[in-house]
Amino acid sequence: MNKNYIILMGILILLAAGLLVLPLKNNSKQLDPEVLMWDIVQPTRYVSTDEVAKMIIEHDPLLVMVDVRSAEDFQLFSLTNAINFPLDSLALDDAKSALTFNKRNMVFYSNDDLKSDQAWVIAKRLGLKNIYVLKGGLNRWIQTIIQPEAPAETASEAEFNLYAFRQGASQYFTGGSISIDQSPQAEIVVSRKKKAKAAEGGC
Amino acid sequence: MHVHELNPKKTMVTMIIFVIVIIIGLVTLSKPRLNYAITPEETVMLAGSEEGFFYPYELEDILDKTIDTIVLVDIRNTFQFGRGHIPGAENISAVELISKENIKRLEALKDAGQVVLIYGNNLVEANGPYMLLRQIGFDNVKVLMGGYSYYNVWKDKLGDSYSDDSYFIGNAQYDYAEVAKGSSVSNNDNGAPEPKANVAVERKKKNKAVEGGC
Repeated sequence: MNKNYIILMGILILLAAGLLVLPLKNNSKQLDPEVLMWDIVQPTRYVSTDEVAKMIIEHDPLLVMVDVRSAEDFQLFSLTNAINFPLDSLALDDAKSALTFNKRNMVFYSNDDLKSDQAWVIAKRLGLKNIYVLKGGLNRWIQTIIQPEAPAETASEAEFNLYAFRQGASQYFTGGSISIDQSPQAEIVVSRKKKAKAAEGGC
Repeated sequence: MHVHELNPKKTMVTMIIFVIVIIIGLVTLSKPRLNYAITPEETVMLAGSEEGFFYPYELEDILDKTIDTIVLVDIRNTFQFGRGHIPGAENISAVELISKENIKRLEALKDAGQVVLIYGNNLVEANGPYMLLRQIGFDNVKVLMGGYSYYNVWKDKLGDSYSDDSYFIGNAQYDYAEVAKGSSVSNNDNGAPEPKANVAVERKKKNKAVEGGC
């Protein structure tokens, strides 16, 4: 037999043996810390209370609100259709599968944005996708949506429009009635998506 | 008689190519540069503890150089840093903090028993980088509560911030269920929030650095 073949075989066997000592790829399903740091410094994970209010009012089918506060707090008050997933539960083995909603956008919220941000970092590490944080949390939700503050007389039209939207949203979420009189931007349009009939028409 | 025996050169070339391909494969084998030192469960516990939180009034001891075991790192951008920062702080962005050189430096600081105190504009801004550094094993990293914005307001009376509560975040400012009933919502409401009365906060005992002695 040619000497070269013997050498070649020797190399092959050596390499095969080398495979055995390769380090086990542990934590393979977790996000690389370097990538996680890049994600952490992006502000894109934050959604505003206005955006969320709009999505809830429009019954956005892709939105899942996730309340990371304790079960007791959740019982007392929660946002419309929110699910409760306390921060501690992220330590559970099945946390990832419990929070995997096919391509839906999860928005974490807590009292402000500290706990939700912590939950976001851990969930991100676990490899969850499409997760966001409600900027300002419930405190800002109350300040901006439930008890919106009227803009100054000199404010821009955009601010008045935003205020009008917030008043409408406040009414929507509290079920209360708000008397709106003097404001020129009185009409509040809460636009609702048309429900698309799946099998419309046809024959 | 094998055909290659007639052409040993060809065999040689095949062999070399084969080895090169294997070597390229091994070299490009993705191996993360950084690894998690604590499990997700431990990270959850970290999130629930205030052990790594640094209180604004504790800065006094750093600023008057009573304590020299703390390295201040400002993770905001250079522009914000240029407009004002805590004296003695270095400006290293969060992403730069995990560069090769800085990881080496962090390791050296950790071995030397030095604490790395990072801050952003507020606590939440620095919380992510703080949690990440902790997760990759730097348990000497702490984060400044209130961040730079709080420091900026209190910088002339940091000691007094001991009795201030406003840098404690994470608490409910309203009785949500009550407010959300909407009974009190009216257009004449000036929107002034009614803060929830006296949120009790637990706080570390203030310990004087140069206590006792003779």
